Amino acid sequence: MRTRPLMSLRLTTAPTQDVGAGPLGTRITFPITGGSFEGDRLHGKVLPGGDDWTLRRSDGVLELDLRITLETDDGALIHMTFEGIRDDGAPGAPYFRTLPRFETAEAKYSFLNRLLAVGNGVISADGPVHVIEEIL
Amino acid sequence: MDSRFLMRLQVAVAGPQRIGAVPHGTRLTAPIASGHFEGPRLRGKVLPGGGDWTLLRADGVLELDLRITLETDDGALIHMTSFGLRHGPPETIAALARGESVDPSTYYFRTTPRFATGHSKYAFLNRLLAVSSGDRRAQGPIYTIDEIL
Repeated sequence: MRTRPLMSLRLTTAPTQDVGAGPLGTRITFPITGGSFEGDRLHGKVLPGGDDWTLRRSDGVLELDLRITLETDDGALIHMTFEGIRDDGAPGAPYFRTLPRFETAEAKYSFLNRLLAVGNGVISADGPVHVIEEIL
Repeated sequence: MDSRFLMRLQVAVAGPQRIGAVPHGTRLTAPIASGHFEGPRLRGKVLPGGGDWTLLRADGVLELDLRITLETDDGALIHMTSFGLRHGPPETIAALARGESVDPSTYYFRTTPRFATGHSKYAFLNRLLAVSSGDRRAQGPIYTIDEIL
């Protein structure tokens, strides 16, 4: 698989909403209060108001389901979602990977509408950081 | 991004169901009649009954939404879904529509497969994300699927 760097995305989160045990697992929602993204082709900030709706499955894996809005430094809004999994018990090192998707109406950034991407997540003291690469 | 070969999957498409213009684009559902997959850690066949629910968007990009069941050669069933995108130069996409063989490097055909199984031998599939590179042939697509490490 060939990839190309797209951006590093930093998210800040508010206290979690512990919804509790439901029929599919244990739900914990992480409200996104802000953040930033930086790459060769786009940079800007994360608008407050998105969330990551996570679900702890019976096999211990955390499923991720994020929806946020990005605002580039030249004013374009980009709808971003990802699904992903976080498996802190994976052999060797935690496995924290995502599949971001983007939608925008801004012609300058319409290349985002036409690509698939993968993200490699790291938990830092300030919140999660996702290093996102375009799948070529 | 590091990846590792997981399997090569070939599916055979039955007669397409042309649903037509819908609010989100043009819908065509491709039933999957059969298929097979082969990799170092799993191999077997595709059960009939799945499909690829495709949507041609206003910007010319084809969204793919595949759902199939895999059966390994030792009898495990694996639920597989895969979202994808396909687009390219108009003449290339037209050649694909005519069923011609086209060099897959001349268009973008990528998907992100997910797997779910209750079989412990294949439980590693529940805990990984994957990407695939597609090659559209007249009889159906061939996907080269890599595990994201």
